[in-house]
Amino acid sequence: MAKNVLVVDDSSSVRQVVGIALKSAGYDVIEACDGRDALGKLTGQKVHLIISDVNMPNMDGITFVKEVKKLASYKFTPIIMLTTESQESKKAEGQAAGAKAWVVKPFQPAQMLAAVSKLILP
Amino acid sequence: MPITIETRDDSTCVSIDGELTIYTVAELAGALLPQMGGAPRLLLDLSQVTEMDGAGLQLLAVIQREADSGGTALSVTGQSVAVTQALELCRKAGS
Amino acid sequence: MSINLDQALQTFIVEAHELLQVMEQSLLQLETEPADQGAIGAIFRAAHTIKGSAGLFGLTPVVGFTHIVEDVLDRLRDGSVAVDATLIAVLLKCGDHMLELINVVASRGETLPPAALEREAALREALSRYQAPTHLPETVPQSIQTVDAGAGTSAELLWHISLRFGVEVFRNGMDPLSFLRYLETLGQITQVTTLTETIPALDSWDPESCYLGFEIDLRSTAGHATLNEVFDFVRDDCEVSIEAIHEASDRAVSVASEWDAQAEQGPLTASVQRLPAASEPKTRDGNYVRVNADKLDELINLVGELVIASAGASLLARSCHNDPLQEATSTVSGLVEEILDGALHLRMVPIGDTFNRFRRVVRDISQELGKDIELTISGAETEMDKTVVEKIGDPLMHLLRNAMDHGIESADARRAAGKAGKGHLSLNAYHDSGSIVIEIADDGNGLNRERILEKAQERGLVASGAVLSDQEIYNLIFEPGFSTAEAVTNLSGRGVGMDVVKRNITLLRGTVDLDSRPGQGTVVRIRLPLTLAIINGFLVGIDTSTYVIPLDMVQECIELDVHQRQSSRDQGYLDLRGEVLPLVDLREHFSHEGSAGRRQNVVVVRYAEHKAGLVVDDLLGEFQTVIKPLGKLFGALRGISGSTILGSGAVALILDIPALLNQIVQLEARTAQAPYSPTVVAR
Repeated sequence: MAKNVLVVDDSSSVRQVVGIALKSAGYDVIEACDGRDALGKLTGQKVHLIISDVNMPNMDGITFVKEVKKLASYKFTPIIMLTTESQESKKAEGQAAGAKAWVVKPFQPAQMLAAVSKLILP
Repeated sequence: MPITIETRDDSTCVSIDGELTIYTVAELAGALLPQMGGAPRLLLDLSQVTEMDGAGLQLLAVIQREADSGGTALSVTGQSVAVTQALELCRKAGS
Repeated sequence: MSINLDQALQTFIVEAHELLQVMEQSLLQLETEPADQGAIGAIFRAAHTIKGSAGLFGLTPVVGFTHIVEDVLDRLRDGSVAVDATLIAVLLKCGDHMLELINVVASRGETLPPAALEREAALREALSRYQAPTHLPETVPQSIQTVDAGAGTSAELLWHISLRFGVEVFRNGMDPLSFLRYLETLGQITQVTTLTETIPALDSWDPESCYLGFEIDLRSTAGHATLNEVFDFVRDDCEVSIEAIHEASDRAVSVASEWDAQAEQGPLTASVQRLPAASEPKTRDGNYVRVNADKLDELINLVGELVIASAGASLLARSCHNDPLQEATSTVSGLVEEILDGALHLRMVPIGDTFNRFRRVVRDISQELGKDIELTISGAETEMDKTVVEKIGDPLMHLLRNAMDHGIESADARRAAGKAGKGHLSLNAYHDSGSIVIEIADDGNGLNRERILEKAQERGLVASGAVLSDQEIYNLIFEPGFSTAEAVTNLSGRGVGMDVVKRNITLLRGTVDLDSRPGQGTVVRIRLPLTLAIINGFLVGIDTSTYVIPLDMVQECIELDVHQRQSSRDQGYLDLRGEVLPLVDLREHFSHEGSAGRRQNVVVVRYAEHKAGLVVDDLLGEFQTVIKPLGKLFGALRGISGSTILGSGAVALILDIPALLNQIVQLEARTAQAPYSPTVVAR
């Protein structure tokens, strides 16, 4: 059974690129457009890895990570934070909240795939 | 219940059903470890394990350690693909 | 890896357009409310997202420019730069430039023309004034590659990797086994020893803490840096040592275990921004699925066929006199109707996005003209067919521009006339009996009735001596040939091109009319159909042919008795409860041979303010129908807007009521000199 990856980003093109890359490697991809939307998608299905943007409307990435870490069934789920080179402080904040992995935007699909496969198999 | 423990004659039969991962190790350890030493033989059925990670591996290592030190004969009666793959990965013998 | 990103690039282009629109609207919002943090956040996010996504597609020119914009916006966000009119003007132009970048670089894959590059240079210059004074080019902090034993060579080396994972690793969501698996993708693991010695005794062992260590031999062509990167995510609390073992070689490179003291994180200054949801532009995706418009059209077309097929089945069922069958087909019909509504609804979008785009236009033009004009928008949530929304933009733009150019006076003139100095424009949309009405109103000077009439007579559009109502006179400005190059000057309070506006609206099966009050302003009212695909029709028969009249234009049906037939044929109109109702005999109009049936009926139709009676043989009832456009061959056929297929398989022509009514109006206008027909149509 393929592993589910939840991709949280307000940019649909980013979600699409990540989705194409991950699906090509055999992962299943679930998309959400912000933290609030993503929290809703965590119930009712098993998500094995979360990829989340930082700056999003409604619920930003840091708040979202903190919320995920409060959930019994997701507190140990790996989270990859999407940061930009100008957001070093956000990366630290994300790590403190519990997102220990990160990928710097802009990334090549292969880079995203490498980061994901360090954490879970398809 | 992800774990069933039965004692028959001189054996404790333990079978784990579902994940053997960080999400289940605490519960599994809590249920299983106190049973150790209750019988001379421990039969571990891992054929229903769907997923196994490093935390699961560590739990198996602890079970083995405790069995060895307590003089319990540990045998694995079955293992799923997930278990086989994980064990193969970290027990690669030198070539 | 060959991953085709073409489709995602299309998504990016659409998304960037939306974001730029959000950016523009928020900038305009900021202009009126400089302290609106929600707007600042939205503007920043728009630029930030465009930059991030453009990077994925390697659109360097977009990334480069947007980066500077984002940088300034970031300073705006943290308060180091204050909002002022100049900055907003610059940022609006930056948005325009970003749009051009997207269109040229992303959509067409070209490079910017020199003129655009010049504009960009000017904008960069303008932006630099808002950037931090010690602003250094962005340094991309990459993992510093100190030692790379395998650099330059792709020779396979035997590496020895020692790993001691930290206790938090499991809880952080990291699985040591995953890292081993990942190493396997970089080379061949020849040996692994799992170290469990450090697992504490049972009483102090926490199953969720990690005490694992690994000694790994890996044969790989990957360099030290690549191998080192594998452990980036766990470096914080792990000991990692990577050594190249040269079998029978003296050159062994050893790297000390790295306790990569991640730069001390400092106080978390950047506070988490939680914007009130209400201030956010509605998130467009997430729960939305983007569907190609063609697929939607295909679906609607199919649903149309379904409607027809279901109508056919109902007709058959009725003729069978089989009650259960009739009941079943009526259930199916009901469901089909719901599907139809649902499918049509898929194509409906609110007009608001189009309206909001005009805020910028109004702002720019009013500045250009030196007039103070405020735009009020209402009915933004009114939904209409996507095609209509797309095509109504240009006519609306033209009307707004005209209203600002010629309708609204200068502030001085306004004050002299006893009005407020600030001009007022409003855009409003609402549903009205199966149509959508869009109103563009201004509080300007109104039209000059006399001069329009004079000009129209001069151009031969109106017979001299014709008696026209004010409204008829005003609407003359929509006539082709009314405004000519000579009339470009502020002749009528409206510039050229109103006939083009009217033509475009007519192509959408819509109508336009205008009302004006001297000194008080002008209202232009555009009436459009809800959808272009399907109409509720009323079937009428002439001989064996069937025609469809759009149901929402049918007012009533009257039986024409023999007596009335004679008198109405002579006069060309019918006395409808004291009202003069012009008649059109469809049998004659469409040149049907043969004589009229024994009984005839009149269908009273109304469109906007015109009313007429259509004389037909039979009334066949209501019928929901899908419009099939007529081929080019029939394009010139006046009075027919399309065709449809009936349940029986026969073809029926759909009557173009607005065109028919218009014909009557023109016909009557030509004979307007005749003393007995003072008004063209009944009101």
